[in-house]
Amino acid sequence: MRPALLVLLVAVVSFCTAPGCLKRESAVQRGNRDQVLHRGMGADPADLDPHTATNIAEIDVTSALFEGLVAEDPLDLHPVPGVAARWDISSDLLTYTFYLRPDARWSNGRPVIATDFLASWRRVLTPSLAAENAGMLYVVQGAEAFHKGATSDFAQVGATAIDARTLRVVLEHPTPYFLSLLTHPAWLPVPIATIQAHGEAYTRGNGWTRPGRHVGNGAFALKEWRPNDKIVLEKSPTYWDAARVRLSAIHFYPIESVEAEERSFRTGQLHITYGLPFAKVDAYRRNSPALLRTDPFLNTYFFRLNVRQPTLANEKIRRALALAVDRKAIAEKLLHGGQKPATTVTPPGLLGYTPPAGTPSDPTAARALLAEAGFPGGKGLPNIELLHNTSANNRLIAEAVQEMWRRELGIDVTLLNQEYKVVLAERRAGRFQILLGDWVGDYLDPTTFLDLWRSDSGNNHTGWGNAEYDALLFSAARTADAATRAQLLQKAEALMLAAAPIVPIYANTHVFLVQPSVRGWHPTLLDHHPYKHVWLEP
Amino acid sequence: MLPAAAEKIEQGNSLWLDAWLRLRKNHLAVFGLGALIAIGLACLVGPWLSTHGYEEQNLELGAAGPSRAHWLGTDTLGRDLLVRLLTGGRVSLGVGLAATFVALTIGVVFGAVAGFFGGKLDIIMMRTVDIMYSLPFMVFVILLMVFFGRNIILLFVAIGAVEWLTMARIVRSQVMATKRMEFIEAARSLGFGRRRIIFRHILPNILGPIIVYTTLTIPGVMLLEAFLSFLGLGVQPPMSSWGVLIKDGAEKMEEYSWLLIFPGAMFSLTLFSLNFLGDGLRDALDVRSSKD
Repeated sequence: MRPALLVLLVAVVSFCTAPGCLKRESAVQRGNRDQVLHRGMGADPADLDPHTATNIAEIDVTSALFEGLVAEDPLDLHPVPGVAARWDISSDLLTYTFYLRPDARWSNGRPVIATDFLASWRRVLTPSLAAENAGMLYVVQGAEAFHKGATSDFAQVGATAIDARTLRVVLEHPTPYFLSLLTHPAWLPVPIATIQAHGEAYTRGNGWTRPGRHVGNGAFALKEWRPNDKIVLEKSPTYWDAARVRLSAIHFYPIESVEAEERSFRTGQLHITYGLPFAKVDAYRRNSPALLRTDPFLNTYFFRLNVRQPTLANEKIRRALALAVDRKAIAEKLLHGGQKPATTVTPPGLLGYTPPAGTPSDPTAARALLAEAGFPGGKGLPNIELLHNTSANNRLIAEAVQEMWRRELGIDVTLLNQEYKVVLAERRAGRFQILLGDWVGDYLDPTTFLDLWRSDSGNNHTGWGNAEYDALLFSAARTADAATRAQLLQKAEALMLAAAPIVPIYANTHVFLVQPSVRGWHPTLLDHHPYKHVWLEP
Repeated sequence: MLPAAAEKIEQGNSLWLDAWLRLRKNHLAVFGLGALIAIGLACLVGPWLSTHGYEEQNLELGAAGPSRAHWLGTDTLGRDLLVRLLTGGRVSLGVGLAATFVALTIGVVFGAVAGFFGGKLDIIMMRTVDIMYSLPFMVFVILLMVFFGRNIILLFVAIGAVEWLTMARIVRSQVMATKRMEFIEAARSLGFGRRRIIFRHILPNILGPIIVYTTLTIPGVMLLEAFLSFLGLGVQPPMSSWGVLIKDGAEKMEEYSWLLIFPGAMFSLTLFSLNFLGDGLRDALDVRSSKD
């Protein structure tokens, strides 16, 4: 054999036995080695601006890009120092003084100072931004008046910068969960100077969130954003606690189809999925329980009924729809992840609050109500459309309820499915009749679910409003005694459910898949997992 | 005296009888024909005979394998798979036949006119076909769906409206070949009009390729409907079609294999039958094949 040939042969053989030739290394294996987390995130984010973030994917990504005054403990989410190194609380529980750490910096190198927070909060509260979550800031004195346009003088709002590193916030009323509230995206600081460099700061969609322009102050910085493909975040060198951050990058994959996401996981493309098809839960539980997680979750699924629509303006029809849903069958037979039938919008698990009796499943009463409304047996009732975002799990629920309404009430419902971004736009514009949706608690208090249905809430979208409901929530917020407060909230919830602008379906659990190499991903009620504390163990 | 037998004049067989006799000898084609008739009848009357409705759910039961009550099992919502399969068959076969009919009508007329008249008209017509060919087909159908909303009638029309192109080309080339033959010359010299020559003299002579191509179009269209439903652009729930059932089944095949096996088998059987029948018809209708 000629020497040249021999050399070639040896080269080929050694190349092919080297790791990576016979069996290609998967993204997960490579990620484990390089500390790159591959994360399925469900729907594609519409924007990466924390102030207008409303869906879980947007909140998830912005939580890695920004850091608020306080951060969350990875185990139980109790408030820990973030940009604020420490804080004082006055004895009347109304005045909070935050002392900002001097080494907190934006990803462009500028320091994060007290006025950054003031400018950011001003932005959230400015009516032209139309931030859905602006209502979260109402606990601050004068914030509500500013947001509703009663005053355009931000000095009236109870937030002041004592100096560059000291921030004082005066509350409207004592709020036991105020520090937890501060971790919500609506409270996060944004780089106003950067935003203004790219256009109008007080309206939506000015484009400052594009890669290359984006500036944040979180543990990670935006590197790449390809819509419907992936979002790449890299560890931020300017983050004050960068030494503690162990992941070098996070790749978020917007895979709206739970089936496709599960396939990606199985082929080693994802460390963590956002969800799992209902039909596959049992198979995973049986075959690879180590990969399956069913975490407790403060999350309720419900239908929003658009009361501005002529048919659904009729309360009797709405209540008939609510009564005709067999929640038990859906939660126990259709879903397989320990979900519970929900008769109220507040899920179980909120300490110190017992939800009211809520909406039972009573087809007979439903039929009687529909007949009372003038449509016995559903005759003469115009066709109703049910909108949901494209997902096999959502379609299953929609189809199940469609059949319940057809069987029990004789109502014809057409199912419409759209991409998540389209659903969001339709929802904001009020262009829907019935909308399948869910709500994840933002903090551990029933008001995170009940504030939604206030007539001035940016997340209401049903068109329903009730002065008595608003008044009950108003006085509950100003009631110090926990038991009395819970009673007021309970009364408000019962009142709302009786009017049925929404139809609760089930209290969810978070069912997802996770590779064994992922560490620091603890079960938390709000499904928050501060990425700064996550790492990969190959 | 002549023998009685000699008095009998040999009867010429018609094209159809000849074709039928030849087809009958092709076992696969006969099997295909039989299977198609059986499937068609089952889809037509089956759902009426069943005690279950295609939209009727039984969440208590959920997905269960074949049993005495549900011969082919049930899906995750507890709906009877047999009824959904037969109801879905109505949609799939209906789309297949209707779209093919649309394609056949447009394609034959268009191709025959272009082929017969030739010249500039032919060039213009066939370049139109070329341009339509170059349109990305799926995008076109999806656009139609988005603009006009989703309804089954539109699905027929949309698919038919793009499936006629190949038919037009085939018919045109056949017409061009046939129009130079002597019997057309004869018809011309007898003073027949163009319409009569096209429809009474040329078309019957090129029926073979047309019928063959038609039987091949039906499965193509059914696959397309399946594909559209697979993408979520086809029929709307709770209606079913074979495409919808196969899509659902494929998502759940590890857990509930019957949800994929039965619809898949039914669909494959139909496609095979159509292809066998098409093959058989091609041989049977070929006038040049020997009359053995």
